[in-house]
Amino acid sequence: MVSQSELVKEARENGMELLPLDKDTYELFFGPQHMATENFSIILKMDGHRVVKAIANPGFLHRGFEKLAEFRPWYTNIALLLRICVPEPDVPEAIYSMAVDELMGWEVPERAQWIRTVVLEMARVSSYLFWTMGLGFKLGVYTAGQWAAAYRERLMALFEELTGARVYHIYTIPGGVRRDIPSDKWLRQLKDTVEYIKDKLKDFDNVLFENYITHRRMEGIGVMDKKFALDEGVTGPNLRATGVAADVRKLDPYLFYPELDFEIPVLKEGDALARALVRRFELEQDLYILEQLLEMGPPSGAYKVQDPRLKALPRFKVPAGEAYAHVEATMGDFGAYVVSDGGSKPYRVQIRGPSIAHGIRVLEQLLVGARIADVPVILMSLGNCPPDIDR
Amino acid sequence: MIMGMKIKVAPEEEVKKRPSFIKPWMSLKYLFKKPVTIKIPYEPTQIAENYRGFHTLNWKTCIGCNMCGQICPARAIEMTWIEGEKRPHPKVDYGRCTFCQFCVDVCPTNALGFVSNYMLTTVWKDEELELFDWVPLPEEKVKKFTDYRHPLAKIEKLEDGKVRYVLRDGETVEFKILGYGLKPPKLQQKKEEKKA
Repeated sequence: MVSQSELVKEARENGMELLPLDKDTYELFFGPQHMATENFSIILKMDGHRVVKAIANPGFLHRGFEKLAEFRPWYTNIALLLRICVPEPDVPEAIYSMAVDELMGWEVPERAQWIRTVVLEMARVSSYLFWTMGLGFKLGVYTAGQWAAAYRERLMALFEELTGARVYHIYTIPGGVRRDIPSDKWLRQLKDTVEYIKDKLKDFDNVLFENYITHRRMEGIGVMDKKFALDEGVTGPNLRATGVAADVRKLDPYLFYPELDFEIPVLKEGDALARALVRRFELEQDLYILEQLLEMGPPSGAYKVQDPRLKALPRFKVPAGEAYAHVEATMGDFGAYVVSDGGSKPYRVQIRGPSIAHGIRVLEQLLVGARIADVPVILMSLGNCPPDIDR
Repeated sequence: MIMGMKIKVAPEEEVKKRPSFIKPWMSLKYLFKKPVTIKIPYEPTQIAENYRGFHTLNWKTCIGCNMCGQICPARAIEMTWIEGEKRPHPKVDYGRCTFCQFCVDVCPTNALGFVSNYMLTTVWKDEELELFDWVPLPEEKVKKFTDYRHPLAKIEKLEDGKVRYVLRDGETVEFKILGYGLKPPKLQQKKEEKKA
């Protein structure tokens, strides 16, 4: 038998740190293979089935997007930056495009703005459905999870027809969008899909959100108070669940949002259940927004800026300057800061992801004292997006 | 709070839900309904008409300007000099391609195009992996396969740089690759001789 001190010594010689644990606590590696964590790992110090300390261990998805973006032409970066947010890749596309539009001083045509708003809202709905799937699986309500995946499939088919791809759309570009709306049939299909999902919300309520088990599992775990959330820079539904009425779509309106009528859900509890219910209400509101947009109808005109500089895309240059644009994603406030030195490549692209605010320090705090079975639920209720943390 | 519109907050009663014992059982009604899933590969999938899949290239109109090579975010495009063609043609490596199709957007003569065929799966043979590094063929040769798979069955490498593309219906395309890069291979050789 090798004694513990020898093991620690040997580990140290090989450049590793073996943490000595006393006889009551043990160390548990949660992820990155665990389905709930999505390529994100947490090192848990456990006492029985209670978490004593949690250490977030991100970095499995680090691909250096921000540095890579400095070596690629302006337009090409769209195909790269959207990979930062897998469930809603339209958000990084939109913020980058909006920032470049500002630098160019372009007035984006109304039709392009309308299409961008529709695409962003569709992305929000599909992201919330994806999140519902995850929550259902983590709570053991597999029925609701499978439904959400099936309904999301309808939106994916619509995306496929509009953009030509299912997950990574590469659709919103500086100056507008890449393709026009295929036909009036597509708009009718979208309307049908919105109505279809709206009908099915009642089923989600029955099975998942009004389920006795869900309430018992999620009530009072992972409680976050208002001051703590504001100090840590938490945004989005997680902040709204602590009692702060903040939404980028209302505070700093962009695209078509000033003309739309929708409500912001705010709850005071700040626990996992409140976060889930806020998201549930927002899904309903997003469907309502889509309905309003479809009623408005697409404005006539071009779907792209007409500019002679766009003819030679690889040598397309952006005037020197800096711009920041942000939108409300399902995880929170998603922003892009773009700096140009007048060249054919960006000088710097910085992405402000929402998950980094609630994915590391806040998560570590919320997990203390939780049961091992609640760890995936808390993780899911925060709506973590690991690629956005690692970037 | 500082700027923007007035925030409309939803009433708390609408956001909150009451727990219920009986309601979850309502989902049992779906036991008697048809499944929404498709049995692949026994049932066909419907792919959108403009799905971004494999490339096509009109060899007559391609002017070899390398715009596609410059815009490619994954650097999947390499210019290839072919005997009998005045200008180089792009060779696309699907091991790198992200199917963003920016190359199709920038093509000044619309020589590059795409079809909705997209399947990159192979049966675990090394020879099949070579298929996905090719000079795209004209649209009519790629589009005739409607099962979404790659049009080539085999790439035969003959002597002195000759290549034979065998399509899946037996049609063959034969050409000789002189070299790669932006400059004509003969000029490159001369330069190297000068340096030596």
